[in-house]
Amino acid sequence: MPVDTLARVDAVVRRLADAIDLGLLAEGEQLPGEIDLAAQLGVSTVTLREALMALRQQGLVTTRRGRGGGSFVTVPDGPAEDRLLARLTGWSTEELRDLADHWAAVSGAAARLAAQRTEPADLQQLRRSLGELVEAEGSAARSRVFGRFHVELAAAAQSARLTREEITLQTEVGALLRLVLGDDGYLEDTADRHRAVISAVHDGADDRARALAEQCVQTSMARLIELRLGPADGTRSPSEGGPHEQQSPSRRRRSGSS
Amino acid sequence: MSSSHRLEGAGAAVLDEMTAAAVAASVRDALEGVFDAVSGTVADTEAVLAKAVTGGRRPVSADLAALRTGLHARLTQYDLVSGLGFVATPGLLADAPSWLEWWQTSADGALRPLLLDLDPDHSAYYDYTHWDWFTLPRDTGQRAVAGPYVDYLCSDEYSLTLSAPITVEGRFMGVAAADIYLRRFEAVVMPLLQRLPGPARLVNARGRVAASTDPRHLVGSLTKGPDFAAGPGGPADGAEHGGLLLRPCDGVPLTLVTAAPPAQRRSPDGATRGQVSG
Repeated sequence: MPVDTLARVDAVVRRLADAIDLGLLAEGEQLPGEIDLAAQLGVSTVTLREALMALRQQGLVTTRRGRGGGSFVTVPDGPAEDRLLARLTGWSTEELRDLADHWAAVSGAAARLAAQRTEPADLQQLRRSLGELVEAEGSAARSRVFGRFHVELAAAAQSARLTREEITLQTEVGALLRLVLGDDGYLEDTADRHRAVISAVHDGADDRARALAEQCVQTSMARLIELRLGPADGTRSPSEGGPHEQQSPSRRRRSGSS
Repeated sequence: MSSSHRLEGAGAAVLDEMTAAAVAASVRDALEGVFDAVSGTVADTEAVLAKAVTGGRRPVSADLAALRTGLHARLTQYDLVSGLGFVATPGLLADAPSWLEWWQTSADGALRPLLLDLDPDHSAYYDYTHWDWFTLPRDTGQRAVAGPYVDYLCSDEYSLTLSAPITVEGRFMGVAAADIYLRRFEAVVMPLLQRLPGPARLVNARGRVAASTDPRHLVGSLTKGPDFAAGPGGPADGAEHGGLLLRPCDGVPLTLVTAAPPAQRRSPDGATRGQVSG
């Protein structure tokens, strides 16, 4: 199989698995027919079939034949965080770093333009999301609101293209972010950083807004890359929330795994 | 005026000039046309909901299927409209916590329903009650123009949304609304703005530029200073503010902004066309 087809199979597997781990696809839910689903995902039916096969092997999809048959979502037992950690190993650090760079560029540009073009009503939505981020129970809800904040930031920039770009990025990174947002201490840092973005946008301080929004993205992605690299050499203090502590978020926040 | 004339680079200058008042009136007429589509949806929806209410029961989502014929006809009839429908206030329907009976014209010309995930356990976008197109009619009881804004709920397009409240027996039931993509709005209003003797822009009640022939003040930017929301009809007609002349498009919350004439210093042939400052 050509390399780009293999890459596309991987991308489809990730997207569908992410949708299941984000709760967008529920246990027992029937997936659309192969032709419709392939069209929705923008891939050929051959690519989709390969992806469904991989998902069946991961236990995320079961296929029943005959009348009333089709592909159905199965959510495996055990915490979603543990599955996500396993899936994180499917990303190379180079891919994660590149994703971080892309996302930081989009959110940074969005914040700069929002600071130039914002008026008070645009900030209401960002403030509401910040409030919900602090209150959200569980890493899945936190990840959804985190993503929405960045979409709203792009919308405040008055850019449909940046907004669409953010929405696409969220479908890639949303599920993985659960791995870093389960930590209550880190969530507080994240909320503070996003609060600072709102202030800079409010003040019309475009360069500061850009730098702060880039930091929001880079710090979360840096934690994800640390997780990907595995347990550190033990020199980190526990209060910093090193990778070792991160490996068992589900034990600390059982409620977080939906 | 043939289209070939315009292509020759003569631009708008050779078109007959229009007065600001005439341009404002034409912009209003274009939006009033879309408000007709909204009013038709209001009437249909109120009839459907009133039937359920007088029958002594709460409306259900299946009742709203009766709206589809009218929605499809209006989507086809009104060129400016890219999507329209009824958005229920949460808790209205007996069988769904929230609901959008919303139809859009897709790129291939087909009419498709908007299917949103409105389950709070799945989606961060389930709550639509904070969008301007919902809150303005709900809170004022009046029709409203929301935007321009990036509509990441329905279309991911830069849009205007025109909406009006739906009430049955004095109770707010939701809004009827119609979306206009900014690029289509621009296609309608730019030929008008280009017939003004100088750069001009249309600004919404919050100061956001919805269309502009002034390269220094493009669509999406803010015009700061004047209070474009002053009073129910916008700023006073002909009001001046820091070199800007403000002319409300009566009945719709847009203001036409042009450069105030520099004390009649403009030469008769219009050669000293000034940039709009501000």
